[in-house]
Order: sequence, then C-alpha cells, then structure tokens
Amino acid sequence: MVLLFVEKPIERRITVYIYFLEGKMIMAEVAIKLEGKSKRSFLDDIKEIVPAGNLSLCLTCGLCSSGCPATGLFDMDPRKFLRMLVLGMDEEVMKSDWPWTCTMCQRCVYVCPMKIDIPQLVFNVRAARPRDQRPKGIRGSCDAAVNSESCSAMGTPVEDFIFVVNDVLEEYRAAQPEFADMVAPIDKVGAEFFVNQNSREPMTEPDEMVPLWKILHLAGVDWTYSSKAWAAENYCLFLADNENWETLVRRKAAQADALGVKTYLNTE
Amino acid sequence: MDKCIACGECAEKCPKKVTDTFNAGLAKRKAIYVEYPQAVPLKYAIDAPNCIYLKNGKCGFCAKVCPAQAIDFEQKEKTVRLQVGSVILAPGFSAFDPQKLDTYQYSQYQNVITSLEMERILSATGPYHGHLVRPSDKKEPSKIAWLQCIGSRDINRCDHGYCSSVCCMYAVKEAVIAKEHSPVALDTAIFYMDMRTYGKEFESYYQRAKDEKGVRFIRTRVHTIVENRETKDLSLRYVDENGKALEETFDLVVLSVGMETSKELAAFAGRLEIELNADNFAKTDCFSPVKTSRDGIYVCGAFQEPKDIPYSVMEASAAACWAEADLATSRGTLTKTKTFPVEKNITDEEARIGVFVCNCGTNIGGIVNVPAVAEMARTLPGVTYVEENLFTCSQDSQDKIKDIILKKGLNRVVVAACTPRTHEALFQETLRDAGLNKYLFEMANIRNQCSWVHSKEKDEATAKAKDLVRMAVARTRLITSLGQPTISVEPSALVIGGGIAGMTSALGLADQGYAVHLVEKQERLGGIALGLLNTWKGDNVPEKLAEMTKRVTTHSLINVYTGATVKASTGFIGNFETTLSVKGSDRLLKHGAVIVATGAQEHVPQEYLYGQNNRVLTHLELDRAISSDDPRLPAADAVAFIQCVGSRESKRPYCSKVCCTHSIKSAVRFKKINPEAQVFVIYRDIRTYGQRELLYREAREKGVIFIRYDLERKPEVKNDGDRLAITVKDHILGRDIEIHADLLILAAAIVPRDNEVLAQMFKLSCNSDNFFNEAHAKLRPVEFATAGIFLAGMAHYPKPIEESIAQAAAAASRAAVTLSKDRITVEGVVSYVKEFMCRGCGECERACPFNAISVQETDKAMLAAVVKEALCKGCGMCAVACPTGAASVHHFDDREVLTMVETAFEY
Repeated sequence: MVLLFVEKPIERRITVYIYFLEGKMIMAEVAIKLEGKSKRSFLDDIKEIVPAGNLSLCLTCGLCSSGCPATGLFDMDPRKFLRMLVLGMDEEVMKSDWPWTCTMCQRCVYVCPMKIDIPQLVFNVRAARPRDQRPKGIRGSCDAAVNSESCSAMGTPVEDFIFVVNDVLEEYRAAQPEFADMVAPIDKVGAEFFVNQNSREPMTEPDEMVPLWKILHLAGVDWTYSSKAWAAENYCLFLADNENWETLVRRKAAQADALGVKTYLNTE
Repeated sequence: MDKCIACGECAEKCPKKVTDTFNAGLAKRKAIYVEYPQAVPLKYAIDAPNCIYLKNGKCGFCAKVCPAQAIDFEQKEKTVRLQVGSVILAPGFSAFDPQKLDTYQYSQYQNVITSLEMERILSATGPYHGHLVRPSDKKEPSKIAWLQCIGSRDINRCDHGYCSSVCCMYAVKEAVIAKEHSPVALDTAIFYMDMRTYGKEFESYYQRAKDEKGVRFIRTRVHTIVENRETKDLSLRYVDENGKALEETFDLVVLSVGMETSKELAAFAGRLEIELNADNFAKTDCFSPVKTSRDGIYVCGAFQEPKDIPYSVMEASAAACWAEADLATSRGTLTKTKTFPVEKNITDEEARIGVFVCNCGTNIGGIVNVPAVAEMARTLPGVTYVEENLFTCSQDSQDKIKDIILKKGLNRVVVAACTPRTHEALFQETLRDAGLNKYLFEMANIRNQCSWVHSKEKDEATAKAKDLVRMAVARTRLITSLGQPTISVEPSALVIGGGIAGMTSALGLADQGYAVHLVEKQERLGGIALGLLNTWKGDNVPEKLAEMTKRVTTHSLINVYTGATVKASTGFIGNFETTLSVKGSDRLLKHGAVIVATGAQEHVPQEYLYGQNNRVLTHLELDRAISSDDPRLPAADAVAFIQCVGSRESKRPYCSKVCCTHSIKSAVRFKKINPEAQVFVIYRDIRTYGQRELLYREAREKGVIFIRYDLERKPEVKNDGDRLAITVKDHILGRDIEIHADLLILAAAIVPRDNEVLAQMFKLSCNSDNFFNEAHAKLRPVEFATAGIFLAGMAHYPKPIEESIAQAAAAASRAAVTLSKDRITVEGVVSYVKEFMCRGCGECERACPFNAISVQETDKAMLAAVVKEALCKGCGMCAVACPTGAASVHHFDDREVLTMVETAFEY
C-alpha cells in the first residue's frame, strides 16, 4: 500500500505582533518577576489567531516533551517553551534558538490532553523573528527554491533533473528485465497524478527515486513528474516565511494545472 | 434457580469454553458458569449466546450430570411489571477502553494491560490464581509501570475532561500489593500528573507506599510505548521534571483506565427521562446529591460522578433515606412475617442427635468416604439417627430433615457438609420449622476442610472428616437452647451538631416520621456553612442553608436545642438516656439512636505572615470578605493562593480534600471580576477530583497560573511595601518566580474539633488525626462500632457539602433501620458474667470492641462486669481477657469448646 499525501491549497494568512516588554534583559539565573496586572503577551495574541484558543490550558504533564525529538536541545523542550510563554517571558522565547529545532512532526499535539497546538506556536514564534535573523541554512534553502525554476531548495537546474531521471530509468530498465516497461514520465499532459520529488534524491542519491517508480508501475498508476516546479520540499514553511511558502505552493499548483493533472501527490 | 445447589458439575462437564469477561478476558470459563466467586445468589447460569444446546439443539451435558435437575433449557426472558413508589439507580460505570490510544498499543502489545486486568491478575480467584505473572510469557515481572489518567483529564484523545477520582489510589494499592505478591524485589513506578490521594487515610497510604514500600512516583507522562518484538518487554520514554529525557524498560505496563458512562446507560437514562450532565453522569446538585432531575428517582455510585467504594456506599444509604421518606406512609404495608411453631423445651431430655452427612454430589462424596463417616457417626454417644444425603441443602432434604426431627424426636442436629458461612441459616430455619431452638444445631465442614484441601489424599480426608464429625457431635451433646430476648426501641434520635450534616440527618429521620432532638453548641444552626458563599457547582450556600434551617426549625418532629451541649449519656441501642445542658440547665432525653455530626474547623495558619499582615487571609476569611464587599478584592491586581497550609505535613499528614476546589473556585471568581488581574495558585498536587476538574480547566483557560512547590521548598512570603512579595521556584523552568501580590489566600487545613469528650462518653474511637473512626471504611462508612451510634459530616473527615449531605442522609437511613423496629431481637450468642467469680477488674471492658460490657456496682455494693446484650456481638474478647473465668460466651463456653479439643485427641 502506498500512502499518498495530498497537499491542500494554503490560504491562511497569519499576522503576528511582537511585544518587547519594556525593562531590563532577564538573565537566565534572575528570578522571573510577575507583578501587577497581566500585560498583553504573545500568548494573548496567538489566542486570537489560533482557533483552538486553549494555549493556557497546559497541565505541565510532560507528554509533549516525552515524545519530542527536540527535547533537551538548548536545554529546552516543548513544555518549557510553552511555560515561558504562559509566564509571559516573550523576550527570552524570541531569543531562544530552540523553536528552530522543531521538525513540525506534531507528536506533541497528537497526544496533548489539552490539544495545545505547540507546532503552531513554534511557527508563530519563528515568524516573529525578523527574516534576516532567522537561521541562515533554512533561509538559504527557502531563497534558493524561490529563485529556482525547479522550486528546488538545492537550486537543481531543470536540465539536470530531466537528465538524471532518464539516465536512472534507462539503467534500471536494462538491468531489471521485469521492469523493462517501467516509465518515469516528465510533463505528461492529462496524467492522473502529479508526483513531486525531493531534490535530495536526484542530486545525491538517485537510486532512491526508483522504489516509488516501481510501486507506481506495479500499481498501474498514470503519473508524471514535471520539468518545472517539480521539487517537493518547501523550506519557506520551516522558515515561517508565509509569503514565499505560498508563492512556492502556488507555483507548483499552477504547474500541475498547466499539465492538466487531476491530483497533486506530495511525496514529502 | 431454586434447585441449583452450586456443586459445579455442570461447568465441569460443559464442553464450551468462553472468554471470561469477569477476568478481563485473561482466562476462559464455560458456557454454564457463575459470574464471579462471590456471586449472590451462588447459582450457575447458562450463557445463552455461547451454549451449544441452545444454539444447535445438541449437547445437554449439563442437564445429564446435574444431580439436582436444575437445568431448564426452556427458560425465557420475562418482562416483569413492578408498581413502585421510588426508584434508586445504581448502574455503576464502564471502564474506559484504551484501544483508541494508539501510542500505547493496548490491543497489540500483550504486556500492556488495564488496571482492571491487573486487579484480576493480583486476585487469588483470578486467571493466574494470584500468581503475579505477565500475559505474554507468564514470566514473573521484575519491573512494572502504571500510567495514570488513561481516559481521564483529556479532551484530545478522548472526550473526558473530568478526573476519574479513584485511579491514583487504586494504582498505589496495586503497586503495593504487587510488591507484596512478588517473589522478586519488584520495581514499581507510577507515572502521574497530580497524585490525588484525598480520601480518609489515603495520603498516609501514599506516603507509606513511597517511603516504606519503595514505590516510585514519577511526575510525568509517557508519550509512546515501544515493544521489543522478541522479549515483549516495553520501552517507555519520558522527561523528568527537569526536562531530561530518559528511557526505561518495563516487563509490564498497567494503564490506569478511568470511569465512564456507557452509551447503553446514557440511553437508559434517556428512557427514564432523567437529565445527564455534559460528561454523561446523572445531573444532581450539591444540596441534593442523590436526587436526579426527576422526582422520585434517586441515583448513587459512579453513575452520579466517578467515586470510590466508601462514598458510593454512603450515597446508596442516602438514596435509601430519601426514598424511605417518600414512602414513609406506606412503610411495612407489604411486609410478610414468617411464623414458626412453638419451641420445644428440651432441658430435661437426653441428647437425641441426628447427623446428616452430605455428599454434595461428588464434591464431598468423590473424595471422602461418606458411608464410612456415617457409619462411624452411628457409634457415637447421643446419636440416634444418621443419614447420608446427596445434597443436604436441597429443598427436599429440608423437608425430610424436618420430618425426621419430628418422627424420631430429635433434639439436636449435626450437618456434616459445607460451611456455616453460607448454609447455617438455612438449616437453623429448618430446625425452627420443626419446633427446635435454632442454637441446637452444629455444622462440620467436611467439604472445605476435607474434600477440597485434601483432594489427593482420600483416606486422610475421610479420617479428618470423621474427626470433625466426632468433635461436632461431642460438642452438640452439651449445647442448649438459647433465648433471644427482645428489647424495646425508643423511636427517636439524638443528632449532635447543627451544621449541614446534622440538619440533613435530622430532616432525613423526621421526614420518615421519627422524632429528632437536634443539639447545637452555638446559638445558631448552620455550622461552618454559615461562612461559605457557594458550592463548586454554583449553588448559593446562604440561600440553601436558610431553606434548610427553616425546614428544620419548623418541622413538627424536630426539637432544636441551640446553645446546648451533651453532658452525659447512658444506655444502648434503642434505649439511650442523655442529659443535655441547654443554656445552663439540664434536660434528660430518651432516644433510640445517636448521630454524631459535630463537624470540624479551619486551622489557624502559623506561617506565610498570617496574622501579621492583613493582606493574608484564609479561605473562610476570603468568603467573609467577599460577602461583606471588602473593597480590596475588586481592586486587587494580583492575587496568590498557597495550598496545603497545615495539610499533608508531618504534623498533620492528611489531605483536607476541599481546599484545591475552594481555591480554584475563588481564583476563577477573581478572574471573572477582573480579567486583567494576575491570579496564581501555588500548589503541591491539584486535587480537583471528579468533575471539579472542569473548574481547574476553566481557571487555566481564564489565565490563572499554577505553580507547583515541594514540601522541601515552600514558597517565601515577605512584606513588600503595600503588597506582598512571594518567591517560589517554578516547577518547570526551575527558576525562582517573584510574585508581587495584593492579597494572599491560604488554603488552611481543616482540623478536627475536640472529639475527645464525645468519644469518652459514647466510647467511640478516633484515628491518629483525631477524626472519628467509622466501623468499616468501605462497608460501614456511617456507623460506629458501637451499635446505634452513627457518624456524618466533617467529624469523620474533611469533605465538601455534597458529601456531608450524602453521609448525613446515609446516617439517618442507617439509624432508621433501628428506629423502624418496635423491638430489637438480641442474638443468643452473647457474653455473660458469673457475678460471683468477677472481681471487677475491668479487663473485659477494655477488651470489648463494641462497648458492650462494663464494670458496675452491684446490689451488694461490689464491682462486677455487666453485659449489655443488645450491643454484644459474641466475639469472645471478654472471655479471653477475663483473668478469673467469670466472663463466657453462650454457645461457646469453655466446656463446649474444650470438649471438642479433647475429642480431637481421643483416638
């Protein structure tokens, strides 16, 4: 069985306010001061954006952190992250690099007894950082994709992709007679499925593309790659760059439409 | 059903094996079965959907082997119409099914089990006969983990926002019992959020489990269980409180599943037209905690809210109390009284003993040589008749025994069969039917003590059966008829304490038609509730209290004595005489029962600047400040609560139960009045059990911040100009938090009143925390060990209004059992004192657990022990304690008992 993930068009627009609280920097060992009336905090703003307005419901039970692959990195974990926001320590949260270690895997919210959408929070915290201060690697990947006809985070040129696909296909058809009829069409008009492809495979491990081709072949699926906007990855999502995230998704969707393909299969 | 004698032959022969749901699916049973070992009545039943005969028309092995012809395949489901005046619902709960929690793989991993499966594994009647092994390979586990809140306090993976109330305590219990059962040094770990051991004696059990038994309590939750495919061991990954990720492997993981109302039960409630709340429990309010939305229908137990056994039992009696009040006018109109022939006087007769030896099918006869036992019995002195029966307990055997008693002129009967625990009453009734005193009967248990335990040694089993019969006969020659005197009952009660509990008890009894004397020390009725504002469900306490007070003071059957105390009391069940001191003058009352509802009080804190800074208040002071419109309250920008002030510490180790809910309710109130205010609750474990959890959620939703502290590191409170500075270490970040608050509310402990005076007067006992001790925590939660005296409200243990009311109604119901009788029959097996041998030393009085024997001055101005037969349970403690042999117990005097011992050694 093949699991097919279909990327839905993304229409959300997220506006984030940053409140830098007046006053001094809080060093790690200094007590957290909570006085007077509660000030409007990051969490309050998020509550208005995220439909499940339950971010302060945290029971500090630790389920999220028990399952998070990023627990312990930078001496942080999802529970501490949320706790800091609950206590209004927005400034420290913004400074932390921990939110950039999140893989958006959703293991936390999947089990959270209060269904607190921590990945959503992480996303918004990332978005609250000025773009030029966000991690260089992710930013570079996002920028490369935006500037690439392939939408590839590695900047893979269209010609390279076409060459590699055809070259690998030939090799396997020759070496494995039972797959002599296998195809890996590019720009086939009117196919049932538009299959995208992470740039990493054609660039560094081309053989890794083949198992999916075989499955599609054996299943008798009518599919196609595209020569343009074929790349599956979208680092602008991880960069919390909404505008470019959307740009890339729209370019890919437009390419699928141009080829008259019925369904877009996201292999990421 | 009348014919079944529960011999078990049918199940033995039944070829169809069925998954045993009582053993949580861990074992098999037959298609004809007894649902569980303690089933009442103990009768076998056919599981129709699984019966081969009922499905295919062939088989019928059970009918062939049944010695009592009790199998009837023609029985059909019948609809029975009953005309009733009230209905009490006690349908219980269903355990949460954890299959849908895919990260725990309950249905895939054999060694992930539910807490109910664990209960069965630990039970002697369970699938592994009490031997602690795990399901996959029957290996004795060396490491077991319990995961709490499975199906509770979760609005994501299940729709159960409430707390199931009982799981913390049962997990601690299971861990302790597992350690006791295990032959290895078993490691047990409980993964939890808040440890909710809020019940009476629960907190000390928890502390003992931790400190003495070494149960590990790990405050975190486990995300995923991963099974090692070969060993079937289970790996758990979790973060500790500092955020450090750890991984541990366990042999067995127990999911502490919560309680829920099944869909079928919810539908049933719909048919009955009673309202359910959002969590599908029967809707009630705090002032009538067992009344459903429909008049005349009452509810008790976990269908009302998840709860434990003691509280369920209290509610059951409370429901009975109100149902009894509804039916008071027709009380006794449907009762039937059985009549017996006049008892024969056998005093001057020689012993003519009949011995009936039972085969119990093959249950006894298959092992013990019953003819040989009967043969031997014929040779014993005093025995005039011996008979073997296939089943001595069957109805035709009863008729026969009666006949033989009359025909042969028997004056004593010995039955050698099973246990008197289940069958003595049946045979005694047969004796009475034949005109013999019921004490002219004796049993020899040759089933449990011979054929069962010596099933592999038939000869020895037979020899032992002979010994037991010889002993029984020897003793039976000496036993005599015993009188069962009756005593009159004064149909009124004394209720001590005029708070919510006392008033509820008074109304419960008066509404049933009994006169009540209600005594209150203060000038005003109401007790602690006079200072309370509302319940956690929002009931207006002053209004409800005023209604209740009005009903009490205007009730024609309730005499209220305010400004009154109990000065002295004598007498016993049915016949008490009590002297009250009412505003300085004495009043003598006669009454048949006593209910102690003297309440408790708020602890005066000795810390956190209490008494030094007027911004520091207790709960009761806060409620007073609210009702007097203290301007500091709405003006407060920041308010903090500190929990467990005086509770759960070495000096006062119990949990005061109500404080978490009270604080959170008040915190929500602050947030409602002023959403901008910062409100903090500094706590150790949040114990908002049951649906109180929803209040906790509301508080977090409204932005109340909860910070946990440890006993080793309590918060620090300092004056800070106009305000207070509170420093507490955040439990997640491990950093100090400095709170500047305008008000600090202390959740002060609830402490017992001076219970010593009443305890002395009525000979009642108190626990180590000085709350009164009930007779049995689970089964007799509102009774004292001394008959005729009952307990309700916070004198028993801190509790919220709804529980005080339930317990008080329960106490009234239990007291009514006595008051509804014209006369009480005293058992024949009671203690007696040979006055000439008694030297009045009082050892018996000290030994008696029931306050039934005491040293008094005799007519001859001597001191001697006197037995109050109405209170005596015949336990024999006095006879053992007596240094001169003056005290004995009828039916078990030295001669009767020692003759048996001598007979045992004769051959």
